[in-house]
This record gives sequence, C-alpha cells and structure tokens, in this order.
Amino acid sequence: MMTPGLLLSLALGVGAPAAGTYYADVVYTGDGQTLERCAVTVADGKITALTPGVSPKDDAVRVKAITPGMIDLSARVANSPYSVEETYEVTPDFRVANTLDLFDVTWERHLQSGVTTVMASPYDDNCIGGLSVVLKTGGAKDVEKRTVRADAALRGAFGSQPSSRNHPAYGAPDDIFSRRPTTRMGVEWEWRKSFFDALYAQGELDAGTKVLRRALTGELPVFAQAWATQDVRTAVFLVEEMKAEGDAKMRLIVDCGAEAWREPELLVRSGAAVVLAPYDHDGRTTDGAFYALESAKTLTDLGVTVALSSHYAAGPGSVLGAQAGYAMRGGLTFDQALAAVTINPARLAGVDDRVGSLAVGKDADLALWNGTPFELSSRVVGVVLDGDLVVAPE
Amino acid sequence: MLHAILFASALALGGEAPAPVIMTGGEPEAAPKVVTAFKAKRLYLGDGRALDDGMLIVADGVITAVGKDLDVPATAAVIEHDGVISPGLIALSSSDGAGGELYDSTRIALPDADAAHAFRPASHDFARERAAGITAVVLTPDERSLVGGTSAVVKTNGGVVVKRGAQLALGLSSAALHDNEFPTSYDGALRELDRLFDDPEGAISKAAAGNLPVLMSVGDRAEIQRALAFAARHHLSGALRGSYWAEELAPAIKASGFAVVCDPFDVGDESRGARSVKALSEAGVRFGFGLDAPARHPDCLRFAAASCVRAGVDPHVARRALTGDAAQIAGVGGRIGRLARGLDADLVLWSGDPIQLSSSIEAVYIDGVRVVGGER
Repeated sequence: MMTPGLLLSLALGVGAPAAGTYYADVVYTGDGQTLERCAVTVADGKITALTPGVSPKDDAVRVKAITPGMIDLSARVANSPYSVEETYEVTPDFRVANTLDLFDVTWERHLQSGVTTVMASPYDDNCIGGLSVVLKTGGAKDVEKRTVRADAALRGAFGSQPSSRNHPAYGAPDDIFSRRPTTRMGVEWEWRKSFFDALYAQGELDAGTKVLRRALTGELPVFAQAWATQDVRTAVFLVEEMKAEGDAKMRLIVDCGAEAWREPELLVRSGAAVVLAPYDHDGRTTDGAFYALESAKTLTDLGVTVALSSHYAAGPGSVLGAQAGYAMRGGLTFDQALAAVTINPARLAGVDDRVGSLAVGKDADLALWNGTPFELSSRVVGVVLDGDLVVAPE
Repeated sequence: MLHAILFASALALGGEAPAPVIMTGGEPEAAPKVVTAFKAKRLYLGDGRALDDGMLIVADGVITAVGKDLDVPATAAVIEHDGVISPGLIALSSSDGAGGELYDSTRIALPDADAAHAFRPASHDFARERAAGITAVVLTPDERSLVGGTSAVVKTNGGVVVKRGAQLALGLSSAALHDNEFPTSYDGALRELDRLFDDPEGAISKAAAGNLPVLMSVGDRAEIQRALAFAARHHLSGALRGSYWAEELAPAIKASGFAVVCDPFDVGDESRGARSVKALSEAGVRFGFGLDAPARHPDCLRFAAASCVRAGVDPHVARRALTGDAAQIAGVGGRIGRLARGLDADLVLWSGDPIQLSSSIEAVYIDGVRVVGGER
C-alpha cells in the first residue's frame, strides 16, 4: 500500500526540515492564478518562491501540474463510535482531538490522494457533538504537532442520525438511549434549548456553556450535518433565530448539504456556507436526500461559499480530487472546483493564513499531478507536506 | 497435605519479607527447620543468568544459598535433579479462581476494590497452573472498568497472598468504553480519569503520589499514546497491559519508563504480537506475560515466551520475563521470581530449558513444599 516515497520519508524521520524545488508545466495556486512552467521552491516547511516561465533544473522534482494540497472539512478520519460521548445529547466541550487514531490507514489514504489538511469532527450521534480540530494528514504521529487549528468549529448534527438510537423509556432503565430525542423536532429542540440556555446563563459558566457562547458570537463556526432539505432549513432557521436573539456574527457551515441546492435563496439570505456531500451512488445519499450534480455550480453562482468533501464515500468517490471532477461535470469551472477543495475550505476553517493556496510564506503543502487535475485520467502522484516529499512520484 | 503447605508458608514469615496473608484455616506451630539441598545440571536464576552444575539450599521454604559446591548441612535432604531448575513461573493478568468476580459492571470506578478478596483458593484453576510450572499469578481487575481496583499477587497453592494492592488497574482501551452507559468515548473516559486523578481518593491517591504502580489496559496504538500521555500528566509509573500493537511505539514506551504486560499468546497467533515483544525487548522495556487464565491453558505462558524467542527475542530475556521481570512488574521482586538468598523457594524442576516446548516438568515446589511431582 505504501509507495516507496512514503516509506523513504518514514525511514528518514518525518518532519525534518527540507529544502527542495518542485517544477510543473502548470502551477495552479488555488486563489485564481495559473503559472506556466513554474518552479515552486520550499525551505523549512514553507514556500519560499514561485517562479514562472523557467526551465526545470536537474535536481527538481518534475510533474505535469501542481496544486495546493487539498483540504477536506468532512473527512472520514474520526468516524468511530468512540468519537462521541453519548451519555449526553449535547456535549459542546467534547474534544475529538482526544479520540483520533493517527495510525489508522485512512490518514495515509487521504495523504496519498493529495489531501494534506482535514477537519476531524465528533461522530454525529449527538445533537451537539463538540469541538472539531483541523490537522495535517501526515507527519509525526502526534495530534498536537499535526494540529493546524484546535477548536476550529462547534460540530453537531440535524436529521435522523442524532436520534436514531434513541427510544422511549422502556426496557433496561440504565440505558442512556431511553431519554434522548427520538425525532427531528426533538433534535432541533435540544440545539435551541442549549443555545438559549448558554445565551442567558448567569454566574460562573461551565465549560460547555463557554463553548456555546463562542459559537453564538461567531468565534467558532457552527458546523452542522444536514443532508436533507428539511434539515438544511432547520439549521438555517435556528441560526437565524439565534442571530436575532443574540449576536449577528454567528456563523453556520452546513455539512453534507446534499439538498442545499433545493434552498439556494435561503442559504444566500443567511450567509451560510456549505460543505457538500460527496457525489456517490448516483446522487442518492443519507436521509433520503438527493444530491444533484449541479449543486456546487448552483450555489457558487449565487455567491454561497462551497467546499467539497469525501465524508463517507467509498471507492473512487472517497478521493477528494474526484469530487472536484464531479462538480465540474455539474458545471463548476476548474478554478471554482479547485477553490472548493483548497482555499474555500481553508477560509471556512480559519486556516487560510497557513494553507489553501500557494503563496510565499504559506505551508509547503503541494499535490503533484501527472496530468490536468480532476480529469478522470489524472491522479496525484506525489505529495509535499510541510516541505517534505512524503509521497514521491515514480 | 494442605495443612503442611500452610504450615510452611507461615514459617516463611521471618526476615524482611512482607507477611503473607493466609486466607484459609490452619494453625502455625513450632517445628525444627526443614532443610533441603537441590542440585541440578543447570539453574536459571530468573535474572537472566544461568549457573551450570549449581546448587541451592532451602530451609523452611526460603532459599538460603545459591551457588556451586555449597556446604550441605548434615540434616539436609538432598535432591539431585538431572535437568534444569528455574524459579516458579509468574503469570501476570489472570483471573484464576475468580471467574466473573473481577469486574463490577455497576460502577465504572472502584479504586479500592481488592482482587485479593475475589478468588477461591481451592479452585482447580490453581492446580492446572501448578502443573504448568506457574507458582504465582497476578489477579487483575478487568479492563472494562475505568478504575478496576487493585491487583493481588497470589501463590497457586494454599491461598497465599504474596501482595495485596500490587497495581491499580486502569482501563484505557476501548474495552472500557460502553455502548449504552458512560463513557462511550475516549474523550469522556479521559476526562473522568483526569477528574479522578486531579482530586484523588483512596488507592488513586496512592497511585497519584507514586506509591502504587498503575496497570493501564491498552489496545491499539492510539490507546497506547493516550495512556502514556495520561500517565505523564499525572506522574504515574507502572505497566501497560497489552503489547500487540506496541511495535512502533517501543521507544516511546521505553522513554516513559513503563513496563509492559504482554498479551497472552495462543499457539498459531500471527506474528505481529511476537514482533511487538521483540521490539519492546530491543528497546530495553521490561516485560512479562499476561495469561488471562483460566480462559487460556496455563501452558500458553511459556508458549508465549517460546514464540517470542522464535521471533528473535534473547532466550535469557524471555526466561526473565517469565520469572524475575514479571515479579518486578508486580512489585514482588524481593519475594519471588528469582533463585536468590532470602526469596521464597518456588521452584520448577524441568527436564530441560523451560522455553523448549519439549521440556517437561518433573516437580514443582512452592514455599519449599513439593506440590507437583511424584515421591522421591
């Protein structure tokens, strides 16, 4: 499974500062620039120069195209039942960072497919699951060292999942699932009650309330799973209600927004961003929601910030670059598709000062392609992470 | 027979050794010293050394001398063994005689639960272990509890408790996470453990103060990392229970100062388990073997050591893991696990090397009393 390049980097010790030059016929910076015959120079983990219109030097790694390392805000890296504390349905101060297994093979799969930064979130069995973390997909096997932004978002879920295991009070009295919401209405009530309680809490605040307050003021985006139309509407309505009650700076990012395309005006009105579900299974997704191929285009054209994700996709759909290809098939331009897997998610997660585009001073995270990115015939053949060539082109 | 054994244990009270607790009846009574001299082709001393054509003198259940050409008291019985003598083997993490009694599902933390009160001394489990050369086991609270209580080191004969409160058992693996009760997550479990250790009571206070080693159950590599980080946060020392995924993390475990109770092996186990033990051994981590008896046959203990030797572990290290190092991990190295002056006379007389599967047991002595083997 490992490429020789990855093995080499492991043997040499990941994380050692390295200098190097990567040359491509075309370099796409991720923020709209296309640089032809361009050398990307890196040192000490950062990009030190972008030099277009040159010939490759002998010692440069040479490929067809270079993009920024991609960013997946809804990556499947922590989706274990042990990544949610289900004793309570609302656990705002839960930290998914304490539940990650960096030895899991999914990290390596993301890295090899050119995804260098991901957001990991609590498993969506709770209404409000807790705090997400943004981290690199490679490097030292140390969550703290890989972290780009701790407490990057407040994660929760609408729809059927948070209530799916619950039931009315029958059977074993010590079963925690006998006292939690069993409907969408109940799930929304838990959210609304939590926000109102936090907004009007008096005296010394507990840890969970403090986190909810940070979400209410917009310091932390609310990153909420909502596949189906009714759940997208619920998320938007709730945040609009809380904005009216509290602080207008509160932010919403809808995750898995398969049917966000059915309510584009609502998203424009609310200023919410959307992380789209992966296109997989002919557009059939969770909660009966249908994901239209033109979703990304519809929303982008209206000015909604869109990011693509792999979420639970299996097979080819789990490769983020393939999702960019599907979005283009749905009408997105190449630059828009590239932004949807690089700078857009970086901005949404508040990490665009470090990652998401190629610019001097930013992290040297590069995806090296053997052809035009997102084409079915192209793939990521090399990856540079923090300046280290962690996957070497053959 | 039982009476004689208890009698011998009682007489072992002298000297610096901690007092054994006698869990069943029997009145100690004064008697002249019983002295036995053992001679063998080879002694494995339990500390990694071997002594060829060695002898040891046992008086009233305690080893009084080990060496070559020792003076044998005139009153001593002499046993000449045409083979190998090793210290009795020690099985870490076991539940002999306490099936189902080492896990209280009604509480996630029971720090002052005591495994010494959980077992039935007359259990046949112990007879099976004696027959396999195991003379002491560490009864260990179950890994499903966040804080399971303290382990107890118990001889496999006569209900003798060598040490109560040997280790505080902590559950850092997914086994301590539950489907329908708290905690369901690693973060939830860690917060609860942090809370318990930030404001410690009872056995947790002892562990937090460095006076009681912890035994942290772990499974996968992330669990090992979390456990070591938790131990570092609270300045704990002791051992990890679970070695299967330890291979890449052996240097980190060495740096932590933690020992490892290796997972039990079954014959035919895939090689990762043995590779991990080899990596621990190469990193210089102290380790012993868990057995999880009675679920596993007692012979699995030395099979585990043999499997590791086959994978490249130094045979002397493997023998030490079965004896002296296991005793150190359980905090009873001054009492059992080695052939040395002042230690309990827990001996196994083998036909050959204990980690050769073709070797058989000819006799087992616990506290100087023969408990396995025919009359001589």
